[in-house]
Amino acid sequence: MSAQPLILVIDDEVQILRALRTILTAKQFRVSVASRGEEGLTLAAARPPDLIILDLSLPDMDGVEVCARLREWTQVPIIILSVRESERDKVIALDKGADDYLTKPFGIEELLARIRVALRHSAQTLGSQKTQIITAGSVVIDLALHIVTRDGEEIKLTATEFKLLAYLAANAGRVLTNRSILSHVWDPADSDRVEYLRVYIRQLRKKLEQDPDHPRIIRNEPGIGYRFMLDE
Amino acid sequence: MMRLNPFRRLRAFRGLEYLLAILMTGIFTLIFLPFRSESGQDHTILSLLYLLPVVLSSLLWGLGPGALTAVVSFLALNYFYVPPYYTLLVHSTQDLVVLIVFLGVSITIGQLVGKVSKSLAESQAREHEAIHLYELIMHLAGLQDEQEILSALAEQTLIAFRAGRVDVLVEAQENVPAHHVSLEDRWQSSQLLGDNPNFLTPLQSARGFLGEIKVWRVPPTLTPAEERLLNTFASQGVLALERVRLSQAASRARLLEDSDRFKSSLLSSVSHELRTPLATIKAAVTSLRSKTVEWDTDARVDLLAAVEEETDHLNQLVGNLLNMSRIEAGALKPQRSWNSLAEIVSSAIERMRQQTEKHHLEVEVSDDLPLVPVDYFQIEQVFINLISNSTKYSPVGTTIAIHALSVDSNMLQVTVRNQGPHVPPEHLDRIFDKFYRVTAADRITGAGLGLSICKGIVEAHGGRIWAENLKDGFVFNFTLPLSMEGFSLKVTQEMVDK
Repeated sequence: MSAQPLILVIDDEVQILRALRTILTAKQFRVSVASRGEEGLTLAAARPPDLIILDLSLPDMDGVEVCARLREWTQVPIIILSVRESERDKVIALDKGADDYLTKPFGIEELLARIRVALRHSAQTLGSQKTQIITAGSVVIDLALHIVTRDGEEIKLTATEFKLLAYLAANAGRVLTNRSILSHVWDPADSDRVEYLRVYIRQLRKKLEQDPDHPRIIRNEPGIGYRFMLDE
Repeated sequence: MMRLNPFRRLRAFRGLEYLLAILMTGIFTLIFLPFRSESGQDHTILSLLYLLPVVLSSLLWGLGPGALTAVVSFLALNYFYVPPYYTLLVHSTQDLVVLIVFLGVSITIGQLVGKVSKSLAESQAREHEAIHLYELIMHLAGLQDEQEILSALAEQTLIAFRAGRVDVLVEAQENVPAHHVSLEDRWQSSQLLGDNPNFLTPLQSARGFLGEIKVWRVPPTLTPAEERLLNTFASQGVLALERVRLSQAASRARLLEDSDRFKSSLLSSVSHELRTPLATIKAAVTSLRSKTVEWDTDARVDLLAAVEEETDHLNQLVGNLLNMSRIEAGALKPQRSWNSLAEIVSSAIERMRQQTEKHHLEVEVSDDLPLVPVDYFQIEQVFINLISNSTKYSPVGTTIAIHALSVDSNMLQVTVRNQGPHVPPEHLDRIFDKFYRVTAADRITGAGLGLSICKGIVEAHGGRIWAENLKDGFVFNFTLPLSMEGFSLKVTQEMVDK
């Protein structure tokens, strides 16, 4: 990986391409752009990027399909851009292997934060040196020893609670869809039982969060799933 | 249902009737024969008795057979009873007179009786026709569905014509799909009916061919009265079909007109509404780009904050417009799943952070409330719109309180209370109408859509929304059912912890 990560932006809106190119270049990224799905796929193969920003509505093909075609051969992080009205497409794309999403219109700080998380996560996966100890606020999770502490005191978690927390924490910073959490922590057959997840998240928050009504560690991703927040 | 008269049924075979008339005269002759006295003076009484077969056959088989019976009776009387017996010769003048009078009287009586019975039969047929027509009209009245009309038409045709099978077809036309109804009398064997219908009547309207009625029947002929009735049935069917089509066309036109009116008020409201934030953004950005003014840091921050706020505002407005158009198109289908109301409320408040800065927010939505089967984004939109409405109408610095409680095991009730002014009681329902505003439009920003969207969403979830004046403010209430497709949720530890 070169010093300046290469970001491929696939979006058909010229204004967005222009703005992203300007902003990302200013933030020391190299940027390549494509305004059509096929073009984006070709470009991704010809000049493999470190990260792809993909708009879901493209003129020639469905963004979800672009995402699926990319995942056939590459694990490059994909951040999806979409409008708020296409929640279901977003969830499908995430289930198909996209790493994160942003809803248009978005703030640029948020985009940069997502890019940082995605790049860091892919670096970790490549280096296969998984972090064993995760810290979020006053909560420390030791994935190897199965110990969770808050302000130094150990918190008792049931087996399922720990499994859920461990899955969330191992993917810290990334959005996880309800479906993927349910099929990882429970069973693929339970992937529609959102109510299990709601009950367990509620329990976890009561044990971990300072204020369970305003969660800071396990954040909601409305209509999509949850995101475990690390200290930035 | 038409009752069958076995004798009248036989009318169809004319030759048989004449034969029967002759046969009956023969039988009567045989009956009378033993009473013949040798004196030969009793034929005047017998001539009276012979009126009996004449009257009977006129009554049963009509004018022709009646007349034939009269002639045959006349001959029999002459042959068997008027001396000399077994000849047609007549000796006395008196007998000749009796015979001639008998012939005249019997023919006259026969004709009279025959005419009466014919006109009786005709009036009965007319009565039946009228009854069937009445039945048909009664069945067709008030039907608003083409398929139902065709079914009623087929059923009544089947009954009125004692048919074995009736098909009614309507061809597809612009805006109207093709329909087909086929009814069979299950008491009649369908094997007797051929592939091709015995009669066929077009359903012909003034504007063209609509379809046809096909009838299979044994016997495969129609009397003129039945033919007339079938045509009347067809024209009644056409009338009913046209009535339905016209009323559908009228309601389509009304819908279009409504939606037209909706669109033009939406356009006028929206173009005004979009310009306001755009004007702010344009002003702020052009100021910042202007080379003639040097902005200090605070001013820059202010201008940029205004730009960001206004873009959020625009985004919210566009979301509302989309929702409104979905509600109008009947396409607002909640994607329900089990959600925590507390999560929805906190994410709505998060999104409203800037707009609610000048108010005090008080939230009491317990995380322990039962999960609700709702569309996350739609219910979030309801909260956003109610909070947004509260911030617009209640004075700066006052409290907006959001509470939720479970009324019973099937229902959750949410209240969004503010310290805004009262709404006249007669307007409390109307504030949920599109474009409705209690105060003058210019003072308050917004397209007048927010509350009607709330109503649309809450009702799509099977809940109810209403507003009330309070002693010190105003409150929106809405309810959400706790069951989805008839099932309520009971997640127990055992279920989850497997």
